[in-house]
Amino acid sequence: MHATAEISLNEFYLMRNYIEKKCGIYLTEEKMYLISTRLTPLMIESGCNSFGDLYNKAVADTSCRLCDKIVEAITTHETFWLRDESPFVIVEEELLRKFTAEIEAGKRSKVKIWCTACSTGQEPYSIAMTILEFMRNQRSLKPEHVEILATDISSTVLYLAIAGRYDSLAMSRGLPENFKNRYFEPDGKVWVVKNDVKKMVRYKKLNLQENFNHIEKQDIIFCRNVLIYFSNDFKKDILRRIGKNLRPNGYLFLGASESIFNFTREYRMLQHSMGLYYEFKQNAE
Amino acid sequence: MRIMSVDDSKATRQFIGRAIDVLGFEFIEAGDGKEGIEVLEREKGNIDLILLDLKMPGMGGMEMLEILKSLDLFKDIPVTIVSTELEREKISEAISKGAKNYLIKPFSQEELIGKIMENLDMGL
Repeated sequence: MHATAEISLNEFYLMRNYIEKKCGIYLTEEKMYLISTRLTPLMIESGCNSFGDLYNKAVADTSCRLCDKIVEAITTHETFWLRDESPFVIVEEELLRKFTAEIEAGKRSKVKIWCTACSTGQEPYSIAMTILEFMRNQRSLKPEHVEILATDISSTVLYLAIAGRYDSLAMSRGLPENFKNRYFEPDGKVWVVKNDVKKMVRYKKLNLQENFNHIEKQDIIFCRNVLIYFSNDFKKDILRRIGKNLRPNGYLFLGASESIFNFTREYRMLQHSMGLYYEFKQNAE
Repeated sequence: MRIMSVDDSKATRQFIGRAIDVLGFEFIEAGDGKEGIEVLEREKGNIDLILLDLKMPGMGGMEMLEILKSLDLFKDIPVTIVSTELEREKISEAISKGAKNYLIKPFSQEELIGKIMENLDMGL
């Protein structure tokens, strides 16, 4: 038998529904291969002879260890530095200026930013470095004014994000040379995020499928390249719940190929020369 | 953490070594099963995880696995099978002999790190 085990249509539907229930990821029939390629190792390691067996074992596993492994195997962690560029330009040129003016006027004491699916840390560290760059020319905003919360469903990527260690391949994906020189230090063949960047980011494991009411209200939420994996119903649900975690007139960034249209009217689309972002309407709560 | 790769392919060992660097762990290597056992004896079993190739000239991975699991000093060290072996029976055999999980070459750095963390129980 090959390293990728065969999956029947019935087993696919069982596993697909299980995965959607556990983490919101919705797989169409065209993604049947994804279940067979990514879950075959788990099936064999768990002593199962089929995906039906794996499903039964996962459902019976009250510790949820197998469930976590299934979610870990099925999630995608593609990421790079300053991805799509525009959100970081908008944060620097528009939002940080606005928030800094509010701090100077005594109308605000904190700027809170939440990265909902931070993967191995490139996005939250890109935000932190963008803010530190802004601070080089603008002295009113200080690191203690900023709180960046970074969450992900995967323990593996969170561990790597916290470690903040990247090889040359990861470093080459979108990181400008001046950022590399200013915010990283070498350790053998690996580059390590400097502490002044690291300490701006707080990491936490979070499944967006679960309740996240406990997370404080934010000024900016990055929910980029996350919605594409979800069903339309779940997209709608996430956008509604994320809205509750935004302060009135807080801002939402989505991935370049994602849109909120057809899902909610609680946000106002804003246009910047570099791209789009969304403002949570003051009276939408 | 100390992680050992036992693999006759220098390129594979280098690839694994780079991932271990990213994790900030210590990397130890051996070119076949016999050398792997020698390194383990020299290190008095002070290794946290073994990434073990199945097909190697001389002592292969399956033989080394059997020896490891028969010795008290080594039997609790988790083993991940690393192989190009495409027969499920071979992998299942290694799992039944005590290997914890496996990777099929070529694998990504992300897959490798995922297995390492799973073996070391490093979830958050």
